Amino acid sequence: MKLSAQKYAIIAGLFIFVGLPVLFYTLGDAPRRTVLKEAISIATLLALSMMLGQFFLARSNETLLSLFKPPQVQKFHKYIAYSAVVVILLHPALIVLPRHWEGGIKPWDAFITMITDLGNIGIILGIVAWCLLLMLSITAFFRKKLIPRFKLRYRGWRYFHGGLAVTFTVLALWHAIALGRHTDAAMSAFFITVAVLGFAMLAQMYWGAKTPKSKPTSKGAVT
Amino acid sequence: MTDLNDTTSPTRREFLALSGATAGIASLGMAAWAQNNVEIDVDAITNTDHVTDVLVIGGGMAGLFAAVKAHDAGAATMIVSKGRLGASGLTPFGKGFFVFDPDTESGTIDDFVDTVSRSALGTNNPTYTRQLAVHSMARAQELRDWGFFDQTLANRPFIKPIEERNIPLLERVVVTHLIKEDGRIAGAAGFRVDAEETVTIRAKSVILCTGAGGFKPSGFPLGDLTHDGTIMAYEIGAKVTGKEWNDGHSTRSVNPAACYDNWGDMFERVPSTNGVEVHHDLGVDINYRAYVTGNPVSGGTGAVQPTEAVDGGPYVPEEFQNVGQPSGDGEGGALGAPPSGEGGAPGGPPPGFAASANVGGASAGMAIHKSEGLVPFDDRCASNIAGLYAAGDALGSHMAGGIYTQIGSSLAGSAVQGAIAGEAAAEFADTVETPVISDDRLIEFTDEILAPLRREAGYGPAWVTQTLQGIMIPNFVLYIKKASMMTAALAYVEELRDHHAPMLRAANMHELRLAHETRNMILSAEMKMRASLMRTESRCSHYRLDYPEVDDENWRAWINIYRGTDGAMQLEKQPFDTWPT
Amino acid sequence: MTIKSISGCIGCEECVKSCPCDVIRMDGNKAYIAHAADCQICHLCRMYCPVDAIEMAPEKSIPVILPWG
Repeated sequence: MKLSAQKYAIIAGLFIFVGLPVLFYTLGDAPRRTVLKEAISIATLLALSMMLGQFFLARSNETLLSLFKPPQVQKFHKYIAYSAVVVILLHPALIVLPRHWEGGIKPWDAFITMITDLGNIGIILGIVAWCLLLMLSITAFFRKKLIPRFKLRYRGWRYFHGGLAVTFTVLALWHAIALGRHTDAAMSAFFITVAVLGFAMLAQMYWGAKTPKSKPTSKGAVT
Repeated sequence: MTDLNDTTSPTRREFLALSGATAGIASLGMAAWAQNNVEIDVDAITNTDHVTDVLVIGGGMAGLFAAVKAHDAGAATMIVSKGRLGASGLTPFGKGFFVFDPDTESGTIDDFVDTVSRSALGTNNPTYTRQLAVHSMARAQELRDWGFFDQTLANRPFIKPIEERNIPLLERVVVTHLIKEDGRIAGAAGFRVDAEETVTIRAKSVILCTGAGGFKPSGFPLGDLTHDGTIMAYEIGAKVTGKEWNDGHSTRSVNPAACYDNWGDMFERVPSTNGVEVHHDLGVDINYRAYVTGNPVSGGTGAVQPTEAVDGGPYVPEEFQNVGQPSGDGEGGALGAPPSGEGGAPGGPPPGFAASANVGGASAGMAIHKSEGLVPFDDRCASNIAGLYAAGDALGSHMAGGIYTQIGSSLAGSAVQGAIAGEAAAEFADTVETPVISDDRLIEFTDEILAPLRREAGYGPAWVTQTLQGIMIPNFVLYIKKASMMTAALAYVEELRDHHAPMLRAANMHELRLAHETRNMILSAEMKMRASLMRTESRCSHYRLDYPEVDDENWRAWINIYRGTDGAMQLEKQPFDTWPT
Repeated sequence: MTIKSISGCIGCEECVKSCPCDVIRMDGNKAYIAHAADCQICHLCRMYCPVDAIEMAPEKSIPVILPWG
């Protein structure tokens, strides 16, 4: 019984965070280009979707924690996040990379033109979000060294990590909706809905059911 | 990437876009006579005034070198361009650059000049032909230093020397008038397309690097080239030549307007250099073939060429008859193929090229590169107006003659002439004071510039352009010429000149540009018809069905056009191998 | 259709500047196809666009006048 619930959760997760963005991509009006360019687009969309998924692979998702052991959830959270982060951090380069095989602007020139287009709020948001994501990943990687430095120790880390994630997500989504070629109404609504749900769960955990003396966190699970 | 062979029915998205575009036509200037619903406050349009020693008009290959060399010769120099530096006119699409390298060429420069003169049947000006060969290597080296041969897009390599020298650059400014005061050039006037603003520039010397032009034909990137420089200069008394020659580029009969697609990968190629290779690339022989045998004419780059002989038609000197004929991997000069003068590097057909039916007239309204434009009065690109110079396709130097001769000479010639004109203009500027132009005079110009915006009703410029195309582009008018048809076309053109050009309307700055371009094309069409009527022979790219032979007795001469004292167009002969007086 | 669509525009104006025929204009932070009828299908806008946002089509949006049909 529990196994099938686990399966159900995984399928639901895949459907929401992989199936829906791919569906909206397919239904979207953006022109189809070369396989490489489309592959990069899909990878970036899925990476963003996966990052949003992280809000659901966290302590805040009590349903999930009732189905899986916290270390399992943490493992998923970690691996999915690191792979998505790599794609998102690289996506500015991936956008210009295919130009290497075409006439027209060279990748490096395109890159410079793109990131120096500072008159556009979308670009500035993107650059700030990119820096936040870098910080988010570096601090996550070195969390064990960082946690002792927080006043509230692990709880302080959680606020820091969650807060950074929320800030990143807001800026990144704004950036993606302002500039993305595939973020049409449906895709944008999907991203916003998922993000708002994720934020709500986090908020509920932080401020909702205040349990000062919470049950001891499972050993070793530092999500 | 666009699929060249995709002829399937439109997708839903394409269909929606299609209907949108169709709705766009109805609302966008295609109407003939209509109310002028002006979108801007014309009375709020301001003027910005600039002062410089040397003003370079045009941001292509000639303009680049004119500005660099004028600056390096010590003159305060400014560039003004209708488009973007290195991204307007034909410069972005020229990929071959002729270089005469004495170390690798088997012949001398004298041999080269003689060969060009033989192919050009005397129509070339040997002084300019020689100049091309002498200076081509130095110009290519400078371009190489700026990175021109490392990329597809010319803007970055072009901007490099301009930024290094801090040369002021005004882009997206349409110059419509040259200003002449006290018998010499005094500046220019125009307007910005992106702002509600007119622009006046006082200058001691002006170099026209405005390219040539056409009738906004389909299949060749001539949409922004409307002989602006030639017409502006003609209006202040400059002499103009070469109007009877015809560039013979063809296009595909399927999607004929798609110049990118029809040129295979050429627009995406990185420029390269080439050595001596003299052709007699007519191009217009496809027009004769179509006229005699009907359509469609197969051929084009990479296609199987028609082999059956057609009697008559344009004359090709025997020496050059086999040059460029397809040998399995040749591309230039093949019947109906685009002459490779723009410089496709020699080699096989571009990838993705499928043979298909061709249609001529891709570059309708344009003559041979360097053959039409201002009459040079010396070997340094000077016109008959003191202080006014021209270079590249704006100068009727007849560097290659009335026919495509040397491959890759178009880009190289613009570079060479630009540099020479730049130095000459700087020298001139050094000898004169900054001209004085009264404010009242400037207001006259700005009023004339803005007139189409002030009309309450008028002819849509796009409609007049289409009407002009309908008159001028037919094969039996522009290419297979005969007196009766040209006289009829001329009557139509005169009608457009007298009753449409003065009544063009514009609702915004974009249409204002179209209005001025349309007017320039009408005058250019008149020049083309008059010169073609006058030349009662066939030579090089000028073919008369009623005078099919080369007439050396009467026509070893160029035709110069100028505005008479009564304002009417005057024509005169200038014998080959002479300078005008 | 000429220049057909712009998606994923970052508003850098490279296409506006590099179009020889002034087909593209800005609407706030986005480029839009303002004068499709004047497009000469040369693809410069597409080639200059740093984020490859421009889609082209080979058809002209207005009737094409040719020397022969």
